[in-house]
Amino acid sequence: MHNLKASNISRFFGFILFGVILLIVGNSVDELRVYQGATVAMYVVAISSIILLTGYSGQVSLGHGALLAVGGYGAALLRNNFNAPVWLCFAGAVLLAALWGALLGATAARLSGPYLAGTTLALAVGLPSIANQFKFLGGEQGLIFDIGLPPASLGEMFSLYKWFFWIASLAALISMWWLQNLLRSRYGRVWRAIRTQSIAAELAGIHVARSKILAFTVSAGLAGLAGALLSMTISTVSPGAFPLTLSFALATGAVISGVTTLGGVIIGAVTLVAIPEIADSIAHRIGASENVTNNLPGLLVSGLLILTVLFVPNGPVEQMKHRKKVHI
Amino acid sequence: MFQILNTFLIGITSGSIYALMAISMVLVWRSTRVVNFAQAGMALLSTYFGYEVVNRFDSYWLALPVAMISGAVVAAFIELVFMRVLLKHSNSGPIASIAPIIATLGLLGLIKAFIGFFWGNQDVNIESPLSTVGFSIGTQTLSLSPMKLLILIAVSMLLLVLTFVFQKTNIGLALRASAYAPEISRLAGIKVDLVRTFGWALAGAAGGAAGMLQTANGNGALSPDSLEFSLLLAFGFIAAVIGGLDSLLGAVFGALLLGLVLAFVLTYVGGSLVFITAFVLLLVVLIVRPAGLISQKAGRRA
Repeated sequence: MHNLKASNISRFFGFILFGVILLIVGNSVDELRVYQGATVAMYVVAISSIILLTGYSGQVSLGHGALLAVGGYGAALLRNNFNAPVWLCFAGAVLLAALWGALLGATAARLSGPYLAGTTLALAVGLPSIANQFKFLGGEQGLIFDIGLPPASLGEMFSLYKWFFWIASLAALISMWWLQNLLRSRYGRVWRAIRTQSIAAELAGIHVARSKILAFTVSAGLAGLAGALLSMTISTVSPGAFPLTLSFALATGAVISGVTTLGGVIIGAVTLVAIPEIADSIAHRIGASENVTNNLPGLLVSGLLILTVLFVPNGPVEQMKHRKKVHI
Repeated sequence: MFQILNTFLIGITSGSIYALMAISMVLVWRSTRVVNFAQAGMALLSTYFGYEVVNRFDSYWLALPVAMISGAVVAAFIELVFMRVLLKHSNSGPIASIAPIIATLGLLGLIKAFIGFFWGNQDVNIESPLSTVGFSIGTQTLSLSPMKLLILIAVSMLLLVLTFVFQKTNIGLALRASAYAPEISRLAGIKVDLVRTFGWALAGAAGGAAGMLQTANGNGALSPDSLEFSLLLAFGFIAAVIGGLDSLLGAVFGALLLGLVLAFVLTYVGGSLVFITAFVLLLVVLIVRPAGLISQKAGRRA
């Protein structure tokens, strides 16, 4: 017990230390990298939401983009209609998405495997057409989501992108820290039990359906936060910002990170941001045609996804742990 | 009255295309217990092969069988070199249940990227081989054009052929047997792996036909990111689930039902609700009858 507390405290300081490092790094790199950093932080939140759902409670969602959209629209509506402060927009996004998640989860808990995957996929395919129908959601153009300029106290040199980076990183750090603790709590253990052996879990007195709905709700809340962050970095919310490819990219990121542990989440997030750039430089070097340049990122991501599923199905982090154990 | 007839015709036509897609999902599900989310990508690829034939030989009639055959070859290839390895590799561990789903997703991405490599991301066009102007009765125009008639005839013929293969031939018997009880089939001397590959090939052919017909039924445009194909995937899946993922008859029934319901919603309620209707229909069926409207006897094993 004593150990647990100590590791809790050290983890907390670990997160703070990580935050300080981010702060220093954020100050020393150029604008583009800072912007990419904000995107990485957004992906960290989104991917961890999928890892929580898939890796810990065994439910698959191919339509997380839809939940991100709920968060993004929620934040933008709060900002535009009530002129709410930024933090309130994010909190609202989390709550709204979690509410949707609870509704979806109630249905999802009855489905399993491919049925759930297909249903969420259908949702992600249909989402743009649904969002297009409502006037107050701004149709095809969507809504503007402007969080305003960074506070003057941070100095004149403080750029908007750096402000995005700060907000996104802080949000990611807080949610990671909270999620770490949650997964080590009773709920985390219950979810893992359900994933490994849902019948045994039920026999042990766990209310499987209720726990699954809870997992879906928490996951949706995180997805909503990620959606608000995403909308912040691109300053708008529109159906086009949450395409099917986003949902697939998030699922890919989760698998590359290793769906069973939270530890690798940064791997997936960095990969998703880095791959377009890597693809670009490869295409440049070999002097590829326009067709190849456009499709190389997709090829790399999908190839990586398939290789991961084939060779390190539990993700690189878990694989390394496993190897160490074998050696000892 | 006339409007009801027209709506009915539109629904049956689109429903019959969804039926092909649903059948290809059911065939794959029955043979390998995988819901193949790459099905739309495979259909898209075979449609592009068809496009290439139309381009070179200027004949849709040649392109249709070419698309079907290439679809079959591609699907069989994927099953042989990819799915078999994958299912052997990841049959245990925490992500065993989602690995096939994720893998077919990766496959979808790969196929789209390949299409982009060779044909680019811009729209290409397949001219409809027959007139898309409806027949007219007196002063009114029927929503039944020669092209729609072709679709209906082609789909019914394919369904007849499939039924014949399944019910009257040895290979059809082997397909049914290895879907129902793979272990026993193996003992009875059926080469289950080979039969599975054949199931995938049939699915690929059905998908190729669906892609060619859907493109000609729509505006003829074709692109790797086409929404039509995402919708084909979603509606195919929904139709297959409505009918029951295990039943070919169910897939056809589910698809026609879905096509009709969507057509009536489109005409009488409005385009905005089409997708929501499909989604609600899916959820209702999943909650009320998870095994599908036409499911085989209880007691079948998953």
